[in-house]
Amino acid sequence: MNWIYSKWWKWLSVILLIYVTAGSFFIPLGPGITKVSPVAMYTDSVYTFEITAYHSHFTDPKAGKVQLWFKNRNNYYSPLSFKVIDNDKAEAQFAVNVLQQDSFRPGSIDVVINDDLDGTFALRDAITLVKTQAADSTVSDSAKVGVALLTTTEPEVKSNHNNLTCFPYREILYETIRNTFFHVPMWFAMTMLVFFSCIFSIRYLMGANSAAASSYDIVAEQSVVVAMLFGVCGYLTGLIWSKYTWYIGVSWGDVIRKLLLEDIKMAAALVAMFFYFAYLIIRGAIADKKKRASISAIYNIFAFVIFILCVFVLPRLTDSMHPGNGGNPAFSKYDLDSTLRAFFYPAVIGWILLGFWILAVLIRLQLIQQKQEQ
Amino acid sequence: MKKFLNLLILTFLSLATFAQGESGTNDFFKSNLKIYVVVAVLTIILGCIFAFLFSIERRLKKLEEK
Repeated sequence: MNWIYSKWWKWLSVILLIYVTAGSFFIPLGPGITKVSPVAMYTDSVYTFEITAYHSHFTDPKAGKVQLWFKNRNNYYSPLSFKVIDNDKAEAQFAVNVLQQDSFRPGSIDVVINDDLDGTFALRDAITLVKTQAADSTVSDSAKVGVALLTTTEPEVKSNHNNLTCFPYREILYETIRNTFFHVPMWFAMTMLVFFSCIFSIRYLMGANSAAASSYDIVAEQSVVVAMLFGVCGYLTGLIWSKYTWYIGVSWGDVIRKLLLEDIKMAAALVAMFFYFAYLIIRGAIADKKKRASISAIYNIFAFVIFILCVFVLPRLTDSMHPGNGGNPAFSKYDLDSTLRAFFYPAVIGWILLGFWILAVLIRLQLIQQKQEQ
Repeated sequence: MKKFLNLLILTFLSLATFAQGESGTNDFFKSNLKIYVVVAVLTIILGCIFAFLFSIERRLKKLEEK
């Protein structure tokens, strides 16, 4: 049990968490398109679209040639004209001939931009194409001279990936992608602490009569206490994160209802946490020390099994909004890019170590209390 | 404990005043590509951990008084 007195891993957690917190606010988000206006277009007239990008480098010398396409399904169309105004502003002209309107299915157009520095980025369904009614389009052929027919192009780009140090720009998530370093590690820390608690419960049962047994009991109990702290943090942060991403425009009451009833991972995590709250209540209810330690140790092992089932098995059986559930992997290359990884893994280690630090303080406190009682 | 409660109340008060900066509460958290959601998440985590540390301190004080 000397680990509770040693300092190096506590310093490690400090360094890692400072690195993660600082990095998560200093590293910018990658390039993306925030706005294209106007948002709708009719056939047979030329529109000038104003494109507002975010953290892009259109006028940077390294950007090279900035290119823009309008994309529908797998077809790329070049704009009639394209002009870069600023680092993050551009203008493009586009028009669709009424004869071609039926080839645009569905009736929304993506805007895709590429340059050498930013790579390729796009805004999906940026422009809605309002189709002319069939009755109007058969008025006469002379009315259809509006704009030239479009031909698809094959985009030629140097690279689809940017060479910037940035977090990936994701629609809906935007800057909240940084929560990966704060919300997710809460659950990692909780899982590790609960696992630790289970190990010490087993150790207690294996040597219930040894001199160190009572300290094992203390470790098992305090681990659960700290795990619940991280569980509550994970829950509250998940609540606010989901309110502004998954459930935009949903009232707080409905958000809570949806999370508890519709998102299996949240519901299962709550069940698992209740089992551990019950553990703490059971401990409080038994006065006899030895009895309390052995009963709660056995309960704790069962609670850990249920925790694993609830948190790791159950959510994979049905659909959930969480990545990693309902068949979508959480740590695939689509979810975490290399910049995210450089902060995510240190964040996980840092928060886990912080949890164990708090645990160490609690254990020391309890050991003193035990000594006083004797 | 009283100090801590005051701290907590003041923290949330500041959030409420922030919210009036933009039009409506929802818009504030959605402004600047939702960066304030991250701020809120960090505030919650730090708040919870600090509250917990205060509770540990209270227990320690009791022990010291014995």
